[in-house]
Amino acid sequence: MEALFKFDDTLWQRVVSLLEYDPTSPLTLTTGFFLFAFLVFGIGYLVVRGCTYLRVLYVVLFSLYFYYKLSGIYVLLLLGVALSDYVIGWLVYLRRRGGGRGRGWVALSVVINVSILLYFKATDLFVDVVNNIYGSGTLDWESVVVPAGVSFFVFQSIAYVVDISRGEIKPLKRLTSYLFLLSFFPKMFLGPLVKAREFIPQIEASKVSVKREDLGRAVSLVAGGMIKYAVISKALGVLFVAPAFAGELGDGGFVALMAIYGFTLQIYCDFSGYSDIAQGVALMLGFRLPDNFDAPYQSATITEFWRRWHISLSTWLKEYLYISLGGNRKGSFRTYLNLFLTMLLGGLWHGVGVTFVAWGALHGVALALHKIWMRIVPGAKAMGRDMSLLRRGLATVLTFNLVAFGWLLFTAEDMNVVEDMLLSIVNNFSTEDVWAIVEANSVAFGLMLFGYLLHALPRSADDALRRAVTRIGFVGQWVVLVVTIWLVMECGALLSDGSGAGLPMYAAF
Amino acid sequence: MKRGDSTPRVVGLTLAVIVGVVALGFVPQFELFGMQIKRVDILADLRDNRVDEAVEYEANIERLEEQLAAIVARDTIVEVDTLPELPPVRYEWIAGQARREVRESLRSDDLRGVAESMSVAVEDFDTLEVTRFDNFIDKLVSGDGVRIAFMGDSFIEGDILTSDLRAELQHLFGGRGVGFVACDIPFTTVRKTVKRSSSGWSAYSVMKPKSIPQNIKDKFFISGYVAIGESGATTTWRTTDAFATIDSCTRARVLLYSRDTATVELCLNDTIPHDIKIVGDSRLRELYVEAESINSLGIKVVDGKVLCYGVSLEGNDGVTVDNFSVRSNNGHAIFGTGAAINREAHDMLGYDLVVLQYGLNIMQKGQRGYSNYRKQLCNMITYAERCFPGAAILVLGVSDRWVKSEETAKYEPIGSVDALTAYQRAAADSTNVCFWNTYEAMTALGGMPTFVAKGWAAGDYTHINFAGGRRIANSLVAAIVEPVYQRLKIREQEAQRIEDEVRRRMIKAEHSMQLQIGEVKLRAEGSGAEVDTPQLDVE
Repeated sequence: MEALFKFDDTLWQRVVSLLEYDPTSPLTLTTGFFLFAFLVFGIGYLVVRGCTYLRVLYVVLFSLYFYYKLSGIYVLLLLGVALSDYVIGWLVYLRRRGGGRGRGWVALSVVINVSILLYFKATDLFVDVVNNIYGSGTLDWESVVVPAGVSFFVFQSIAYVVDISRGEIKPLKRLTSYLFLLSFFPKMFLGPLVKAREFIPQIEASKVSVKREDLGRAVSLVAGGMIKYAVISKALGVLFVAPAFAGELGDGGFVALMAIYGFTLQIYCDFSGYSDIAQGVALMLGFRLPDNFDAPYQSATITEFWRRWHISLSTWLKEYLYISLGGNRKGSFRTYLNLFLTMLLGGLWHGVGVTFVAWGALHGVALALHKIWMRIVPGAKAMGRDMSLLRRGLATVLTFNLVAFGWLLFTAEDMNVVEDMLLSIVNNFSTEDVWAIVEANSVAFGLMLFGYLLHALPRSADDALRRAVTRIGFVGQWVVLVVTIWLVMECGALLSDGSGAGLPMYAAF
Repeated sequence: MKRGDSTPRVVGLTLAVIVGVVALGFVPQFELFGMQIKRVDILADLRDNRVDEAVEYEANIERLEEQLAAIVARDTIVEVDTLPELPPVRYEWIAGQARREVRESLRSDDLRGVAESMSVAVEDFDTLEVTRFDNFIDKLVSGDGVRIAFMGDSFIEGDILTSDLRAELQHLFGGRGVGFVACDIPFTTVRKTVKRSSSGWSAYSVMKPKSIPQNIKDKFFISGYVAIGESGATTTWRTTDAFATIDSCTRARVLLYSRDTATVELCLNDTIPHDIKIVGDSRLRELYVEAESINSLGIKVVDGKVLCYGVSLEGNDGVTVDNFSVRSNNGHAIFGTGAAINREAHDMLGYDLVVLQYGLNIMQKGQRGYSNYRKQLCNMITYAERCFPGAAILVLGVSDRWVKSEETAKYEPIGSVDALTAYQRAAADSTNVCFWNTYEAMTALGGMPTFVAKGWAAGDYTHINFAGGRRIANSLVAAIVEPVYQRLKIREQEAQRIEDEVRRRMIKAEHSMQLQIGEVKLRAEGSGAEVDTPQLDVE
């Protein structure tokens, strides 16, 4: 038993080296390291939280360290983006006060930010294309590593400058406050994207406090998020989805279909689980991050889906891309075109490749068609809650399948995989071996059933759970968290073959 | 404090959670509903987690030396003269005529893409004028069937790497079937490329020499496993559709040994039974089944006692790749297999290439000298040459491996891959066989961190998975296809040259013929006589 606390004389070296950036184990909110770091951070936070300036500075310094542990030297990129848009924000503001609109400066900010994104996302493809045309070795370029969360801070930075130019906010006085907006560590990695006008008042509030109910809600968010992110999604991926996509479970139609539904649940649990954890951790410090998901697969229409899936990104795309393209103010044709273009660019943002373009196009066409449908069919509704029960049920099944098959485009390595999977479903679907497959993958199918049932619960169930976690008090919350972490670690140990250190799937974007 | 600030509670809760999670480390490993619940240790990164591999390594070396001594002893046994009247070596059952696949003859264009993707070539150290590897390549060029024995450790267990190597080669050069599959193994394994269900056998592994009965110690084939069955013992092998070329095959060859007379029942595709009476003999025997489409084959011992190795599921031509993986084998297991049995199997199956993939378990962090291992590898190669005369031998270099650093608890290169690779190459060089640098091929794909990041290898930075195996298999296929491509290209150029030459001569001949016609006409006009011009089709 003493073995647990037995360390050799290299302990100190290990501690120091753990504090350094290690590309093989980046810091995320679900690592053991974060748990210890959060305690150390929390103790200091208790001391400084009363003084606005100190609190902002303290959180910024920790956030920068967090980003260093996540992405190493790219912390300088984050600082550079912050500094440049902080200055540009002021220049735009001054030009507006002088009667101008500061469009040149806004354009500069957009060019800088978009170039950064393009460099990290498209260089590999460019080098590949050149080398394919002119022979390998024409361009000798090491593969570009995309810094974690780069699109998130770049998007928020663009939004900040645009908001100033639209006169919606004033620029921040302090650079530290702007850094806080960009780098607040819970949302650093995967968002949600926060709107400057909503988040700035929280940053510069004279007093932050955590209410009892907030803590209960935070604990239920963190625990639920970890179950979704590190248990359901990880296990489903390792046990079933990845082998099924790799063709290791044969080419039966049932396997292919279940792999698609499995991935649909997996990407939701992965992404929304991590978002929940981020929300919970922020709440523990007294900050409210916006909801990023609202049971998206309950949507009855594709329009509703995009109001419930990755809400902060769809809002961003709507406000800064769709509206900048002209939105719905230039006639109905332009409206549809703009919708389509927005989704196409949204698809391209996930990765430069045919599959992502196809995914974006699918959603763009679906959104445009739905808009036309709403216009020509009397009584058509955008949201499921306005529909009759039968109609809503049918529409939900249809929308779910559209989205699920969209994910097939999203996750497939190339179009051949898409074709293979679809052909398997069409030509090779047999109901004979269904039970054998379910039996052979019982854990994965159990998880899938559990995950989808959980997803089907109404919002009130969620609220009830949060109230319950508030009511059980300190000891109860402690038990919930310890058991959750134990489950997560156990799951990691059991799946260690192949799952590795593991980042959220969405980290790649 | 009801409405007050709970921030101190947050910090307190965090502390309590840390204490709780650290305390979880006290819970030992236990079993729940048949599942191993592992001990979790959140402080693991702060601890020295070195596994004492040195002890295991030493034990392996000792065993190796024992077996080497046994080999020397075995070599002195003189073979008994064979009797003139012998029972048959092969029992045939032609259940149906296998359709021969009609393949268009191979053209270099079909291979160009694969050949040009080659990152690491096979290094051939053979000193013969036409090397054994040349013969292997020539067989591929001319479309003859080839058979590859791929021997390795847990790196290729479950048909990792070999399944894709097989699929790709069969795709390019034809051939069907998963190759050799054992009859029974003393522990459970999963192989997605074939299903095997067996019962009633006593199975033995060459890796556990102490448990092997004395009378069958020399009966091991390089598969590493034998199964002894009496009346009632049964095994069924079923094809799977994991790859297009193995979902069915046309030949099944059961390899077995029966000292005394025995009767076995074969069952084809779960429907057609067929009894075979085997006359006792001391040689390796084959039950040969041929049918239009074999999806499953069952064997059942009806009477007597049989030592069964397994079955080879294959096509009538093209490429066959046998996966012979033996867990935690550093290659030395080959010394526990019988040279005579291996030779008989070689006469029966005809191997053209024997691949030796070992070394992952040998490496020690930072160790740069492996001269002992080099010597042993030379012995293994020599032994393999004796068992498989005429076959090309290909030594695969060790794969990339990273380990957790003791000081920093981060993954870093083990620091001995290049050293062991150099020793393996030296062994191949001094024994005049072929070498392929796996490490270099993996580096060309981005190295172990990329493999882990892309999900091609396990988080232990040591074992690749199927996805990783596929990438390495592709590189190896390219290394095999490249010389085939070059030869095909030369052959096609030669054919083209001859065709051009023939055409040139034909044109020349036509030309001179026309001249002659002209001359004849001239002469006829000159003499003023009427001459029929020869009716020639000259265009």
